[in-house]
Amino acid sequence: MSKPLLLLLFALYLTATIGYLAHLICRRTLFAKIALGLIFSGVLLQTGLLAQRWWVAGYMPVTNLFATLFFFSWALALIYLYFELRYRIRATGLFVMLLNLVLLGGAVPRDSTISALIPSLDTPLFSLHILFSFTGYAFFAMAFSIGALYLVQTRLQTEMLPDLSTLRRINEEAIFLGFGLFTLCMVAGSLWAHIAWGHWFSWNIKSVWSILVWIFYAGMCHAKFIRRWQGSVYAWLSIVGFGIVLFTYLGIGLLLESNHPLE
Amino acid sequence: METSPQTAKTVLLRLWEFLCSLKVAIVLASAAALLIMGGSLVMHYNPRIFGGMEQEIMSEWLPGAWSQAPQLVFWVPLSGLCVILFAINTLCCLIDWLGKISTRWRKTGEYLIHTGFILLTIAYLWGNLAGFRSGPHSIFPGTEIKIPHMPEYTLRLESFTPQLNPQGRPLDMVNQVSLRQNGKTVRQAEVRINHPLIHDGLIILPTSFGQALQGFRFHLPEQGMINLAKGSRLTLANGQILRIRQLLPDARRSGRGQVQQVGDRLGNPAMQIVVQKTDNSTWQGWYFLREGLPTELSEAGILLRPIEPIFKTYSLLTINRDPGDKLALVGSLCLSIGVILAFFSFYRKRARGDRPDV
Repeated sequence: MSKPLLLLLFALYLTATIGYLAHLICRRTLFAKIALGLIFSGVLLQTGLLAQRWWVAGYMPVTNLFATLFFFSWALALIYLYFELRYRIRATGLFVMLLNLVLLGGAVPRDSTISALIPSLDTPLFSLHILFSFTGYAFFAMAFSIGALYLVQTRLQTEMLPDLSTLRRINEEAIFLGFGLFTLCMVAGSLWAHIAWGHWFSWNIKSVWSILVWIFYAGMCHAKFIRRWQGSVYAWLSIVGFGIVLFTYLGIGLLLESNHPLE
Repeated sequence: METSPQTAKTVLLRLWEFLCSLKVAIVLASAAALLIMGGSLVMHYNPRIFGGMEQEIMSEWLPGAWSQAPQLVFWVPLSGLCVILFAINTLCCLIDWLGKISTRWRKTGEYLIHTGFILLTIAYLWGNLAGFRSGPHSIFPGTEIKIPHMPEYTLRLESFTPQLNPQGRPLDMVNQVSLRQNGKTVRQAEVRINHPLIHDGLIILPTSFGQALQGFRFHLPEQGMINLAKGSRLTLANGQILRIRQLLPDARRSGRGQVQQVGDRLGNPAMQIVVQKTDNSTWQGWYFLREGLPTELSEAGILLRPIEPIFKTYSLLTINRDPGDKLALVGSLCLSIGVILAFFSFYRKRARGDRPDV
């Protein structure tokens, strides 16, 4: 991947983040509109880069830490655009884009070379597993950002952020969509494991923690029915949930050994 | 003291409400999650105990692991119990919903996800009680092996072709296999990476491949290049007959002069040779190929010079059986369709102005 284009992408998202910050400080809608335009351009560029890598590799190139961070960042930016266009959440973008910058910032210094595909990964089930996994993670990341903002808004009660009811709706939607996509990720992964290793559930630590992520968010899809847990508790659960996601995605791959190594 | 029918009905109703309770579901799921969370780390740092977890089904692995270290393994049955109770709770919720389906049909997607979870739990239990995992089994092309635990089945490897890239890295392992039941071929298939043979709950897939020493290529002054393996018989120019009785890929002499096999890999190869001379007398001895020709052979004019080993490639196949695999597939379908329906109904309710949780 071209390093200058990668840096340009980072610059677009960074400027968008600054735009949202300016919008918060100066209270001018123009800055938020510019930021949105920059994110839109960034998503277009990132989609093009991703498509180009896919074309060159001949398979969905999400097999190492650079590629997963890049894909995660793309999915998060795209999902943010969806929520922004649907709910006009504006200043909320500051927090989401900061998270996106961390993801992309983690990818930029890494080697972007496309490595040869391991034969067992050469199946459409792997592509589906990855696609659903990272879009699910991106929704959980969105829920984390919204959860954190919900807690901020309960204290600040500022007009610059969406009201608590909207934040709650977005949070629930992100959790629900993330859970659904992660369920599809687990289904694709199980089918793939069955044909690749002969058993559809593995006691490998990554698979075990993926089950934990699934159980946790399944619980969250139910927790919204408990009146006392609505609002702040739900926001805190979104933050804890994303902690589990991060450990499953990065912690296990980097700190422990698993059959889903990160290079 | 007599219990009135009304009281009994109330108790049963409360019991049913308890079984369907969302709070019970959250308590059980949380307990299972916390146990598995801690257990996964115990598992990671104790590979001696948990290393074999993937090679055996749970009902075979657990008793052995429990006898070795119950303090490290207790979380497995405990979390399993929580998951089973959680699945029972989910089943009760599903039954409860089915009773009210005429008014709550919009929740079909969500309850298909519940159904999928229940089916997957049953499928896992079934597979781990009645299935098996075996292998990898080394099979040479043209040979067959019995399927473990299923004596009526045999597996024949018709041919095996490893596919390598220019750097010599394995790309695929193409096995042409025949599965036979009571001597009759029931399936013929090409088994390679991500393309297993699946039949009657059996799943046969390639794991790796290897090479076994089959023989050696020698140079013999009168005959040129010859291949010798175990059982080879060669008539020499002077009428003597040479036979290879044994071939050991890695051998050593014991203190008492006996020859013993050390391993299966090529190390210090040795051949047990029998020479039948023209006067009908025989000589029998060991030729350690790295040590040079035995004096008896050189004196007899049999100047065998080893050139290179001859290997035969074999395939390593894993053979598992999971009788719950079809149920798991149905469970997966329920989950997938449930998710799609739930997405659709979520946005439909939002479009109508309903809160999705109402």
